[in-house]
Amino acid sequence: MENIKNNKTPNFFSKLLKPITIASKYMKNKLEKSMYSRFVLFGVLISLVPVLSNLDIIRYSTVSLIAYIVIFTIVALGLNILLGFSGLMSLGTAGFVGFGAYGVVYFSALGLPYELAIITTLLFSSLIGLFIGLFSLKVEGVYLAIATLALGEIFSQVFRRVVWFTNAFGGVHYEYPTLFGLIQLNRNWTFVFLVVVMVIMMIVMYNLTNSKTGRAFMAMSRSNSSAQAMGVSIAKYRLLSFLIATLYATIGGILFASFYRYVQPLDWNLMLTLLILAMVVVGGIKSIFGTFLGVFVIYGVPSLWLEDLFTGVYGVAYIFSGVLIIVVIMYYPHGIIYIIQDIKKLYHKYKNGEFKFQKNKEVNKDV
Amino acid sequence: MYSLNKGTLLEIKNLVMSFGGLKAVNDLSFDIKEDEIVGLIGPNGAGKTTVFNCITQFYDDKEGIILLRNKMGEVVNLNDVHVNKVIKEGLVRTFQNVELVGDLSIIDNLLIGAHSLYTTDIIANIFRTKKAKQEEQKFIEKAEGILRFMGIYHLKDQYAGGQPYGILKKIGIARTLMSDPKLIILDEPAAGLNEQETGELSDLIISIKNNYKCSVLLVEHDMGFVMQVCDRICAISFGKFLAMDTPEKIQSNPIVQEAYLGKDED
Repeated sequence: MENIKNNKTPNFFSKLLKPITIASKYMKNKLEKSMYSRFVLFGVLISLVPVLSNLDIIRYSTVSLIAYIVIFTIVALGLNILLGFSGLMSLGTAGFVGFGAYGVVYFSALGLPYELAIITTLLFSSLIGLFIGLFSLKVEGVYLAIATLALGEIFSQVFRRVVWFTNAFGGVHYEYPTLFGLIQLNRNWTFVFLVVVMVIMMIVMYNLTNSKTGRAFMAMSRSNSSAQAMGVSIAKYRLLSFLIATLYATIGGILFASFYRYVQPLDWNLMLTLLILAMVVVGGIKSIFGTFLGVFVIYGVPSLWLEDLFTGVYGVAYIFSGVLIIVVIMYYPHGIIYIIQDIKKLYHKYKNGEFKFQKNKEVNKDV
Repeated sequence: MYSLNKGTLLEIKNLVMSFGGLKAVNDLSFDIKEDEIVGLIGPNGAGKTTVFNCITQFYDDKEGIILLRNKMGEVVNLNDVHVNKVIKEGLVRTFQNVELVGDLSIIDNLLIGAHSLYTTDIIANIFRTKKAKQEEQKFIEKAEGILRFMGIYHLKDQYAGGQPYGILKKIGIARTLMSDPKLIILDEPAAGLNEQETGELSDLIISIKNNYKCSVLLVEHDMGFVMQVCDRICAISFGKFLAMDTPEKIQSNPIVQEAYLGKDED
């Protein structure tokens, strides 16, 4: 019916719009085929944030806020691999983020170029990560959580007291990174750099979890003995998942230092770890975009809108975000990313004409 | 170093497994030939599952020798093989309560079964190299073939979680086939299935033996099923060997009858 109508009235605008529709069809096709292009497109959209800020559409401080979301998306992705796929618990995440932040500053201060400082930091943190991995072979479940909690606390004390490494409560200053000794990044380009790293980490996670390795993680988390019978080495894959989560957290920390250029010891506490945990759980276990959504809901929503709504009454924003978390967990225990699926279903119902607003009479009958 | 008679696939010699003072398996010896379906039967608590766990190396402190002719045709003592390397030797098992990954699709569950055959490492997985992609494709095709054989190809992209029990059991068996096994150990394959499903399963197990050229060792309480499927049956009681013979002879064996029904005291 619609086609016939269009043929009858070939108007000027449809001709004008033709290249756009072709382009959008091509994009749609591409997006449906490959997850990579979804991640890249997502990255491109987020990178436009500094442009919006330059055009005065959004506030200057919003860029910092979104950078925080990007950084903690990376951290939460790592925890998502550990928790969602391997079924292992860690409450030391914030410690590793802090270690990454302090590490890159410390090694840069020793005179290493940015890239080398990153690699050295990653090496040290992966050693610690492997150590916890070894530890996880001996302890399970809640006990592992307590052990990693203790490790996080050790980190937090080190940040406060080891002056040569962290300058204690004075904090340490850093500068925007210089890539390959040539390209000096400013604030906006550092933001783009963060987004690029995030997209890479998303693709890495996607590839990893859709491969033999990801399946081994999942087999291991559901049943140790079944995984072993299928040839999965529990020791190897536990170490591997702790290593990956550690690296993600450390990279997040490195980016934190690179963008905010100041690291202070009180940020890396249990509170932050629990928030990261909430980001993963609320956003969507095992979901990459869900993780971003989780970070956005837990950190972005209260800071971006709620605080403006309740200026003057300190803390109300956090009450609201607390209520939000409870509601989300009650109705979407697997993460808010599934809201999108429900909306899609509703849309299809609406399209097929099955969608009706009707009162449920059967319930009344029973009463 | 070790040797097996021609045509013998697995030989268990003087296996002893004790938990504290209790000998769950006591000096048990039996063998399985190539292309043979063997049933392991015994009253509750006879130690059947313990025998399985010993063969697949889930217990470390056991005595005795378990010899297997592996995929390469060499004879290995399984006691020298680590639990997660057993599958590489050509021995694979299912579990009583299935133990699949519910939030993976059925075909992905089968790919877990091929884990030991993958040659690409994690770096290749991260960068999704050409070789890794080809390997993945190869195993997907193999898994699809097996699903067709099992008659559940149409379900391949559905989640394993929430499938009916009969399907789950089939996926569990399909997963073992992914590893090109020489010997499949099935722990109560018919438990929880209805009569029709049990009938299908017995046909399936026989056709697996014929099509995939492997032996099967199974524990089952459904005697009708065991008698129908097995070439030979090994009966044990309180961890001790009672008899091993064809189904007909086991049925009429007075020692086995005594173990199941008790001694006639008149």
